Amino acid sequence: MNNKPKIGVYVCHCGINIAKAVDVEAVAEFASRLPNVKVARNYAYMCSDPGQLLIREDIKNEGLNRVVVASCSPRMHEMTFRKTLAEAGLNPYYLEMANIREHCSWVHEDREKATEKAKRLVFSAVAKARLLEPLYENEVDVEPATLIIGGGIAGIQAALDIADAGFKVYLVEKTPSVGGRMSQLDKTFPTLDCSACILTPKMVDVASHPNIDLMTYSEVEEISGYVGNFDVKVRKKARYVDVDKCTGCGICAQECRLAGRIPSEFDAGIGKRGAIYLPFPQAVPAKYTIDPERCLMLTRGKCGKGPKCEAACAAGAINFEQKDEIVEVKVGTVIVATGFDVFDAAKKPEYGYSDYENVITALEMERLVSASGPTGGNIVLGKGEDAFVPKEVAFISCVGSRDKSVGNEYCSRVCCMYTAKLAHLVKEKLPEANVRVYYMDVRAFGKGFEEFYDRVRREGVRYVRGNPSEIFKRGDKLVIKAEDTLRSTPIEDEVDLVVLAVGLEPRKDTRQIIDLLRLSQSADRFYLEAHPKLAPVNTATDGVFLAGCAQGPKDIPDTVAQAKGAASSALVLLSSGKVKIGAQISFVNESTCRGCGYCVEICPYSAVELVSVNRMGNMVQVARVNEALCKGCGACSAGCLSGSIQQRSFMDRQILPQIAVLGGVR
Amino acid sequence: MSEQYEPNIVAFLCNWCSYAGADLAGTSRTQYPVNLNIIRVMCSGRVNPLFIINALQQGADGVLVSGCHPGDCHYMEGNFYARRRFGLMKELLEYIGVDSRRFNMSWVSASEGGKWKDVVEEVVGKAKEAGPFEQFRRNKINW
Amino acid sequence: MVDLEKLKNVAKETVSREDVKYLVGWRQGTYGFRVSPHFMTKPEDADKLIFSPLCVNNLATYLTLAEKLPVPRGEEPDTRKVALMVKGCDSRAVVQQLIEKGIERDSVYVIGCPCQGVLDLEKVEEKFPGVQSPVDVQWGDDKFIINLPDGTQEVPREELLAQKCLNCRYPNPVISDVMLWEEVEAWGNGEYADVKELEAMDSQERWTFWQEKFASCIRCYACRNACPMCYCEDCVLDRLNPQWVFRSNNISENTVFHLARAFHLAGRCIECGECERVCPMGLPLMSLNRKLAKEVREKYAFEPGLDPESKPFQSSYRPDDQEDFIL
Repeated sequence: MNNKPKIGVYVCHCGINIAKAVDVEAVAEFASRLPNVKVARNYAYMCSDPGQLLIREDIKNEGLNRVVVASCSPRMHEMTFRKTLAEAGLNPYYLEMANIREHCSWVHEDREKATEKAKRLVFSAVAKARLLEPLYENEVDVEPATLIIGGGIAGIQAALDIADAGFKVYLVEKTPSVGGRMSQLDKTFPTLDCSACILTPKMVDVASHPNIDLMTYSEVEEISGYVGNFDVKVRKKARYVDVDKCTGCGICAQECRLAGRIPSEFDAGIGKRGAIYLPFPQAVPAKYTIDPERCLMLTRGKCGKGPKCEAACAAGAINFEQKDEIVEVKVGTVIVATGFDVFDAAKKPEYGYSDYENVITALEMERLVSASGPTGGNIVLGKGEDAFVPKEVAFISCVGSRDKSVGNEYCSRVCCMYTAKLAHLVKEKLPEANVRVYYMDVRAFGKGFEEFYDRVRREGVRYVRGNPSEIFKRGDKLVIKAEDTLRSTPIEDEVDLVVLAVGLEPRKDTRQIIDLLRLSQSADRFYLEAHPKLAPVNTATDGVFLAGCAQGPKDIPDTVAQAKGAASSALVLLSSGKVKIGAQISFVNESTCRGCGYCVEICPYSAVELVSVNRMGNMVQVARVNEALCKGCGACSAGCLSGSIQQRSFMDRQILPQIAVLGGVR
Repeated sequence: MSEQYEPNIVAFLCNWCSYAGADLAGTSRTQYPVNLNIIRVMCSGRVNPLFIINALQQGADGVLVSGCHPGDCHYMEGNFYARRRFGLMKELLEYIGVDSRRFNMSWVSASEGGKWKDVVEEVVGKAKEAGPFEQFRRNKINW
Repeated sequence: MVDLEKLKNVAKETVSREDVKYLVGWRQGTYGFRVSPHFMTKPEDADKLIFSPLCVNNLATYLTLAEKLPVPRGEEPDTRKVALMVKGCDSRAVVQQLIEKGIERDSVYVIGCPCQGVLDLEKVEEKFPGVQSPVDVQWGDDKFIINLPDGTQEVPREELLAQKCLNCRYPNPVISDVMLWEEVEAWGNGEYADVKELEAMDSQERWTFWQEKFASCIRCYACRNACPMCYCEDCVLDRLNPQWVFRSNNISENTVFHLARAFHLAGRCIECGECERVCPMGLPLMSLNRKLAKEVREKYAFEPGLDPESKPFQSSYRPDDQEDFIL
C-alpha cells in the first residue's frame, strides 16, 4: 500500500460547545491547506452516527490513510473514533485527536484567539498524524477470578454476583469477620429493616459459596501484573486459633483473663470484649481470634499459670505458635470495596467528645440502640448506680462533613437520614424523651427519604436550624450553645445526651491500597473513578473497579447498586476471557542500542531486559521489551541516551513535529 | 515589554493527571489565558529532557511539564524520574543564561482543574515578565 | 612515588598474560610536551611506557572506542582483556563504564597509577614556547621538574597544574587490578569555584558569556569523541530522523548541541576534562559539566564513577529528591 500520508481532518462543532467560541469553518479551511491534508470538513457532532459515517465514507472514497478529529478530549472519544477507523478498514492507530473543546472552546471566550489556538492544535495533530504508524493490539487471556478487597456489603454483594456467574472470587477482609459497617447498624433508613437481619444471610452465603474463597483476618500485601493477570499476595494473619478445630462455642472468651476489659471495635468502643473474641454474635466465620496486641500470652509470654483459653478449649484449637501465612493467588480483575472510616469527633473539640461521656458519635448510638449492643438495646447512660435514662436528647448534624476547617468539604450523604432514623428510634424506645436535631440543611433526596423525614418530625422530633458553636457542662447537664438561624435567636439548650452525626471519611489505609494498585484520589481523598458520570465504577487502572464508600460516601442501596456495577464490569472481562492490551508500548531499535540498561532500571514493570545478541560475530547486550508487561508510560524512552527505545505513538520523531508547530517557528 | 506581548508556551502533560485536570478545567468552563498549547504524553516520565531545549529552539517562549503528584504516578514512578531530570534541566538552562521563569514544572492531579488554571496563569505571567525568547531560537521550521 | 621500573615490569607481565589482548598506556610524543597513547602487545614495547605529569589524556576512552570488527564465520570473537593504565580520574571513567555496562569487569585489567596532578598543557606551552624536541617532566615536591633541551627548570606546582587537578578529590584510582605505587593524599575540597563565579553573574551576563563561547564552536565533535562516556554507536545528535540538531553552524544549533551533550552527561561526567582539553576553540566545556556535577553532588548527594555496583543517576531516583523548583 502506498503509505504517503493522505489526511482527513474533521472539525466538530459539538453543537455550540465548540462552534460558539471557535470558528470551526475557518479551522477546517485552515486545515485543508496543511501539507498532506486531502480533505478537511466540519460537522455538528462528529461522534454521532452521521459524523462517523462522514469519516468512513472519506476513507473509502478519498483513500484517506490518516484521520485527525478536532473535537473533545481524546480521553472522551479516542476509542469511539478508533473504532470508526477500524470499521472503515483503517488501522485504528492512524487517528490523532486535537482537543479543541476542553482545552480551547470551553476555556477561552475570545473567539478570535480561541480560533487561532484551535488552528494551532489541529496543525499539531496533523503534524503528528503524518508520522503515525499502524499498531496492533495484543490479546491476553483473562484469569477467570476476581480479587475483592473488603468484606462489607459492597464486597459481599460483588462477590456473590461474580461467584453466581460461575467465576472464582477471593474475598479478602482485614477484620476477623465479614459484614463491615452495615453489620454495626441497628435499623436502616428509611424502611427500618433490621440491618443484621438483611445482611447476615448474605454473609453466610459468601462463606458457603463454592466459588468464593473467603479470607478473613487477611490483608493484601502485594499486587503485580496487569489487567487479566494480576498476581496477588495475601497475608493471612495468625488468629492463634485453628479455624478447622474451633467450634465457635465461646467458652474460651468467657475464660479469658481480660474478658470484658478491652474496647470492642464492633461496639464502637462502648462495649467490651476479651483478648480472645468473636467480633459479634453473627460473625462469619464464627471462629474466634486472639488479639495479638492485647493477649497476655502473646505480649508478655505468660498468662497467669497458663492461658485459660487453652485450658478451656475442648477442641484444642488454641495455638500460640501459629504464624502469618502468605497465600498467592492469580486473578484477572480486582474490586476495591474498602469502605470508609467515621470522622474522628475529637477533631471538633468544641463539641466536647473527648471531654464528656454523654457526647457520643452516631455509630456509638447505633450500638446503644441495637439489641445486640452492650445494653441490649436499652438507651441507658452511665454505669451501675449512676445509670439513668436520658430525657433530653440532641443530635448535631454535619459533624466532619461540609466543613472546610477539618478538610472535608463534601456532604457525607447518609447523616441526615441516619440522624432521622436514630431520632425515630429514640422516640420509639423513650416516648417521653424530647429529641431535637441541630442541622444546617436536611438533604432527604433518596427514595422514601423525604417521607421518612416528615414522619420523624410528625413523631415530635424537633429540627432546629443552626450549627452549635459549643457544648459545655453545667451540673449534670450538657449545654448546647447555638443560634436558631431561622429565628435569629441565641439558644442555650440543656440536654442529657448529645449524638454527633459524624461524617464518612476515606479510610486511613487508603494510601496503602493506592500504592498497591496505582489508584488516584479525588479532591475529597476518596478513590478517583475513571469518569464521574460514565465510568463511576472504573479506575484509571484497567481491570480494577470500585464499589461502595471507598469511592465516596453513599448509602446502602447505592453501595449495593455500585457493587453490582463493579461486579458486572469485572464479569465483562472474565466472561470474554480475553483482553486487549495496549498497543502504544515501547520497542527497541537494537542496532543503535548500546545496552547500558538505563531503560531496564527505569521501567517500573520490569518489562525491559537486556539480552545478548550476535552483532556480526560479536555478542553484545541490547534491551528488549516484553510486550505483555509494558504499560506504555514511555519513561524508558525519555531516559535513553541513544534514543533507541521508543514508545509507539509517542516516538521522539512524532512529538518533535508537534513541538515545532506549537513552538511556531515558521 | 510592550502591553501586547503574548508569550507562547508549549506544555507537556501527563494523560492521567494534568491532562485530565485540564479537561476538568474545561468541563468546569474555567477561563484561563490562551497562550499555552498542550502536547499529550502518557506520563511526565515520557518527556525527553531534550524536548525542553527543542521547544525553546523552535519558538516557545516558555515550557511547562506537568505530571502527577509524587506517589500518585499512574505508572508508579515516572514522575520521580521526571522530577530528577527537570530539576537538573532547569539548573542547566539557568546556567547558560536562560531566564529561569521560562521553564516550569508542576504537579496537577486529575481533580485539580482549579489548580491547572492557576498554573497556566502563573506560567504565562512569568513568561510575560521574561519577554520574548530569542536567545537560541531557530529560524526555520523543522517538521 | 612513580616507579618506572615497576611500571615496565608490570606492563611486561601483563601483556604476557594469556588473557590480555593488549595494554594501553602513555608514551612520550614526538614533539614538545605531547604524549601519545601507547598500545603494546609485546613485552619489549614496555620500554616506551611513561608516567609523568604529561600523561593528561584519559585512556579509558579507548575501552569503548575500540571497534568491534566483524568476526569471520567459524571464528570466535577475541574476548581477551584490555589492560589499561589509569589515573584517579580515569579510573572513575572505567567505573562509570562498568555501571553503564559499556564494558564488563572481566574484559578489562586495570593498572592503577596514583597521580599527583598533571600539567595544564596550554600553560606549559605558553611558558616554554617553541619547544620542538620531546620534553621529560617529573613530579617534585610542590613543583614540576621540567627537563628542557637547554636545561632543567623547576616551576611551582600551582602555576602549571591542570584546571581539573586543582581541586582533585580522587587522585588515586578507585578501581584497579594492580596498584603501581603508594597512594597519594588527596588535596581537593570539592569546591566548584569556577562554577560559582559564573553563577554569581546575572542571567543576561551569563548568556552573553556563553553566547560568545557557543558562537565560536566549529562543531568538530572532538569533545564528544574524546569523552569516555560518549560511546553510543549512533549518537542522537548525529541522527537525521528525528533531527534534534541541524548541521548548520550557528548560535542556535551550537547551543542546543552543547546543552544536549551536557545534559546527557549529567550524573555521568567524571570530570576528566577531556572534552575541554581537546576543544580546538578553547570552549570552557567543563564548566557546563561541572555545573551539573555540582548540582548532582550538592542537591542529590550523588557522585558518578565510584561504585561499580551503584545505580546510574539518570535511571534512578529518590522519593525525597528535591522539588523546590516545582510550582
